[in-house]
Amino acid sequence: YFLDTIQSMDPLPMHGRDMGVHPDDMIEVQEAEHETKQEVLENKDVVVQHVNIEGLGRTKEDLLGYEISEVFDAKNLIDVMKKSHIARQKLLRLGIFKEVEVVIDTSDGADALPNGLDVTFEVTEMKRLTGSYNTMVGNNEGSMVLGVKLPNVFGRAEKLTFQFSYGTKETSYGLSFFKPQPGNFERNLTLNLYKVTGQFPWRLLLCVFVGLCVSHLLTNHTLKWEGVWRELGCLARSASFAVREESGHTLKSALSHTMSIDNRNSAIFPKKGALLRINQELAGYTGGDASFLKEDFELQVNRRLVWDSVLSASLWGGCLLPIGGRPSSIADRFYLGGPTSVRGFGMYSIGPQSEGDYLGGEAYWAGGLHLYTPLPFRPGRGGFGDLFRTHFFLNAGNLCNLNYGEGPRAHLQRLAECVRWSYGAGIVLRLGNIARLELNYCIPMGVQSGDRICDGVQFGAGIRFL
Amino acid sequence: MCKCMSVCCLFVFSEDQILLSDCASSLAVQAYLRMCNLPVHVSCRSNAEYMSPSGKVPFVHVGNQVVSELGPIVQFTKAKGHSLSDGLDDVQRAEMKAYMELVNNMLLTAELYIQWCDDTTATEISRPRYSSPYSWPLNQILAYQKQWEVRRKMNAIGWAGKSLEQVYEDVSQCCQALSQRLGTQPYFFNKQPTELDALVFGHLFTILTTRLTSDELGEKIKSYSNLLAFCRRIEQSYFEDSQAGSSSRGYSKGPSLF
Repeated sequence: YFLDTIQSMDPLPMHGRDMGVHPDDMIEVQEAEHETKQEVLENKDVVVQHVNIEGLGRTKEDLLGYEISEVFDAKNLIDVMKKSHIARQKLLRLGIFKEVEVVIDTSDGADALPNGLDVTFEVTEMKRLTGSYNTMVGNNEGSMVLGVKLPNVFGRAEKLTFQFSYGTKETSYGLSFFKPQPGNFERNLTLNLYKVTGQFPWRLLLCVFVGLCVSHLLTNHTLKWEGVWRELGCLARSASFAVREESGHTLKSALSHTMSIDNRNSAIFPKKGALLRINQELAGYTGGDASFLKEDFELQVNRRLVWDSVLSASLWGGCLLPIGGRPSSIADRFYLGGPTSVRGFGMYSIGPQSEGDYLGGEAYWAGGLHLYTPLPFRPGRGGFGDLFRTHFFLNAGNLCNLNYGEGPRAHLQRLAECVRWSYGAGIVLRLGNIARLELNYCIPMGVQSGDRICDGVQFGAGIRFL
Repeated sequence: MCKCMSVCCLFVFSEDQILLSDCASSLAVQAYLRMCNLPVHVSCRSNAEYMSPSGKVPFVHVGNQVVSELGPIVQFTKAKGHSLSDGLDDVQRAEMKAYMELVNNMLLTAELYIQWCDDTTATEISRPRYSSPYSWPLNQILAYQKQWEVRRKMNAIGWAGKSLEQVYEDVSQCCQALSQRLGTQPYFFNKQPTELDALVFGHLFTILTTRLTSDELGEKIKSYSNLLAFCRRIEQSYFEDSQAGSSSRGYSKGPSLF
């Protein structure tokens, strides 16, 4: 629900003292007396004797030990400089320092070795409280986000954030506590308390979700428990009865696991690499009313072709298996269609519907084949023009409800018949490194009765596109 | 001219969940529809209150229309050509409306008061029943939310300061007024039942057949023998095929009044 703002980290120039030739060195290295003063410093063995951090206020030192420990292993001067640079990046990555400067000096003091070095990291801690204002782009919606952040609350890079978001489709606020594991920044624990009020799935129901979410991030894997109190209510008096039946309160308590492997070179216009994300969610065994097992996956493969063009293929799919005989809730089902999934169809307007209200489905698949090329004649090359691409696409997908009494063969058959698909071309614009805008001309095909199409020009904005 | 109506589907809370006031309202609507000779099918949903367009149970779903509460349902059936009060003249109609208002303001409010403002009843009966379809902690939150809402409403209409005895006294006075109007007639107006009869039956019958923390309310009604006979009559005439309000039984003492 919330997007972290990504801070750009410009590398600052490193400070280091000139290594002049010291009288001590001359005594130590007798053999080198004959060498010229311009001895190559890379070959000079050094020992890092002390690594200090200055400027700490509330940060606890044990946390930083892990980040800077590798500097001790450096064996020569260039190595020291490299490892110090890496340590500096790691310290900045913690998100608790405004600036980190590195000073490398010869050691002095009683126990100083002649080739000893002292490395000092001079840090400036962030203020206790910072505020922020951003705008955010979601899937065909926009919002403005006000945030208050307390970085480094207890001294070990814990972060407490409060965010308020006001958008075209939903209003939300949330409190988030983030704690990285000392020594292993990729692993972290997040606690999230939120309330989201919005229209879901698409001008159908007014939903209020109040939830608590605890997630633990390991490399590539995320484990999450989420408890959500959902209140659904009809927006319009003329809502269909099937939607009216979904009104009311439910409590969902679900455990989920996500595995995400992404070796693309960029999230928005990847030139190579692949993304695989598999998510499962099990609700009902830790309390709550909702009881189901939900699986979904996302696969994207990219390959560069001639003339700077990229061929990209993606496949999405998922299924929802209600447990214990209770029917699935409209808030848990999958939706298909729209400028961010199967283009050429209205938003979430594919699949089972009742009197014009789309109810979603328990199983779906969607696939896309794209060819991205730079703009014809490459205007603005090297600058603004690089943010644009033309793309030709072929999208297909299907969404339906499954009767779990039938076998898997019947399910596959059901998903394979009445496939909706579309093709077309358009222009894509990249926004930052997260979102993109698309303006496409679409031709929908395989339209079933009840689907709402958007043939012709379709505009889409969002983060995750088929 | 009567137009044929497709089967009405009446939505109420499920048996374990329904409370006195909702039970009374539902029974009134059921009685009315049976008096109109309209086929009705009762459906139990735990989220009936939220499905209803006005937030109150019961509501009917006919064709693609959804109508809730007795007043609008009476209007709706009248528009379709079924009416029980066509034979009344203007004076009688005004009188009928006045008595229906009396029942709503007195009996219904008293029921709500006893359910939610009396601590014993609220703790032992109302909150557990109201929250039975939900799991923890949602059940606690919803039950307390409902209680707070009803108490706020009682404050607004000035009932918050009343004691339980005063409420019983008010009910007794209301019953006295109804008893006097009924007299020795079979129904309130001539020999044909009207929506007033359905409404009074719904409330009185539910109170008589529901076990609360104390029997005082039922006793007050039993002291008026013509009201008792009135309830029996309607039960026998219109509910002989099934026990009156069998799906809105709730926590009753026995199958019928006898």
